[in-house]
Amino acid sequence: MTRILIAGCTLTAVVGLLAWRLLPDPLPAEWTPAQRALIQSLSLSRLPATPGDPSNAVAESELAARLGHRLYFDQRLSGNGEVACASCHQPQNYFTDDRTLAVGTETGFRHTPSLVGLAYSPWFYWDGRKDSQWAQALAPIEAGHEHNLDRLQVVRLIAEDPLYKSQYEALFQPLPALPGAPRAASPLGDELLRRNWESLGTDLRQDINRVFANIGKTLAAYQRKIKPGRSRFDDYADSLTESSAVIPGSLLSKDELAGLALFIDQAQCISCHNGPLLTNFEFHNTGVLAIAGQLPPMGRYDGIRLARQDEFNCLGQYSDAEPGQCTELRFAKDDNELVGAHKTPTLRNITETAPYMHGGQIADLKAVMEHYNEAPTSMLSHNEAKPLALRPVQLKQLEAFMTTLTAPLQTEQKWLKPPGG
Amino acid sequence: MTLPTLRIFLLTGLFLWLPAMNGWSQSATFSLTTSQGSRLEIFSQLNPLAINTIHSWELVLYTADGAPLNGAQMSVVGGMPDHDHGLPTSPVVTGEIAPGRYLLEGVRFHMPGRWLLTFDVTSAQGQESATLEFQL
Repeated sequence: MTRILIAGCTLTAVVGLLAWRLLPDPLPAEWTPAQRALIQSLSLSRLPATPGDPSNAVAESELAARLGHRLYFDQRLSGNGEVACASCHQPQNYFTDDRTLAVGTETGFRHTPSLVGLAYSPWFYWDGRKDSQWAQALAPIEAGHEHNLDRLQVVRLIAEDPLYKSQYEALFQPLPALPGAPRAASPLGDELLRRNWESLGTDLRQDINRVFANIGKTLAAYQRKIKPGRSRFDDYADSLTESSAVIPGSLLSKDELAGLALFIDQAQCISCHNGPLLTNFEFHNTGVLAIAGQLPPMGRYDGIRLARQDEFNCLGQYSDAEPGQCTELRFAKDDNELVGAHKTPTLRNITETAPYMHGGQIADLKAVMEHYNEAPTSMLSHNEAKPLALRPVQLKQLEAFMTTLTAPLQTEQKWLKPPGG
Repeated sequence: MTLPTLRIFLLTGLFLWLPAMNGWSQSATFSLTTSQGSRLEIFSQLNPLAINTIHSWELVLYTADGAPLNGAQMSVVGGMPDHDHGLPTSPVVTGEIAPGRYLLEGVRFHMPGRWLLTFDVTSAQGQESATLEFQL
């Protein structure tokens, strides 16, 4: 009798546990007006026109985009002649790569972020250390582990390639003459590069910087064209009417709808992954483990300091903006809340851009959901996210919803392959 | 939270999720009374308010008698108490553009939810503060 009782209790417990883990809650009968408004706020139909970049006078120029497009795929823009922007930000992979950490001339320190929709972001890099797309585009060119070139050689490349030279001079001023200048020079890089840079006069250094900045502006003009396309989710959000019953159908399945309901409510994903690009482009500490072999990074806490010091920022002499137009930089926050905080990435096409986080620390979406469900203690400062106590079936539903956000890019095909390719 | 308050929050939330239009609000987006009985009216450059767009506010101060309160020093701090974090930017009052009318630049909100902002005012009539709570 006792054995039967024990067996019965055990069976009940096992069945109960399995039911807790696996049985889904029933879908709500219909979206409330508030839920509907939230869902529709995420639709690409609500995406405004690409915001202007007052710091880049050629941001909307087609000629600048064509020059930037050519440069984007040009491996001569690297020290070893083998690395282009497209080497890591690959069009066929939604402008990221399949790697954990980026590999340029050497393995880098961060996971390659997607460039899709980035023209809407006020900040660039995972830690926001650049405040424009053009200023961002310059840094990898001179980073030793990325392109490993220097700005004087970039100017020489433009001057020595007849097509580049003619396109550049059609957009900007004539290129500076470089009589007696060394082959390579930069204020960054090794001692020889820095010594060569110091040997140049102030005026020539500024001329070289201006050409370098202009090259970044053409790369930005091209990258502004990289935009997400409408996904199944957008069609669903736009199909909602005032009496929207929650009915699985051809657009979203039962699990995807349940995931959407969690996304906008209990799971709190929408707190940061909001708006039509599913990101607020802000900086948050979400308790992600440090990258293997690296100290936990300070994130935006250091990033805003670097942005302020950057000679290519919105307030600098190479920017085309009036100081009053540099509102993000002038009123940027700078306090301890930013320690360990990294930029929220878009969830558009997220199923195709694994691995995840600033160091590619999390391999797949299942593990991402588990991470946010647990909300572990942060190695630096505090984790803004709180444990969610979601059941395994709910994590699967959230993962299912992520699949509704993938779609071919809206960008014209000609921009997704090398010029003439 | 009482049911009427919750209703106001939900309705405000819906209002604030509408696509942002350009142009300053013609009527005050918010109206507050300070600890000293002064009135603080807030006009937003984003109308209606929306997340993820940096913009300015005009802060208009009146004494308890209804006269413009000019020559004040103002500052604002705020955040989301439910998320344990502050504002994503550091807004600053950059000038008094007319008697009692102050320009607050660098306002941005990056999350839907409950926001709490505190305005500190120092003027000839002393120190006072006002707290604004709203749902985005």
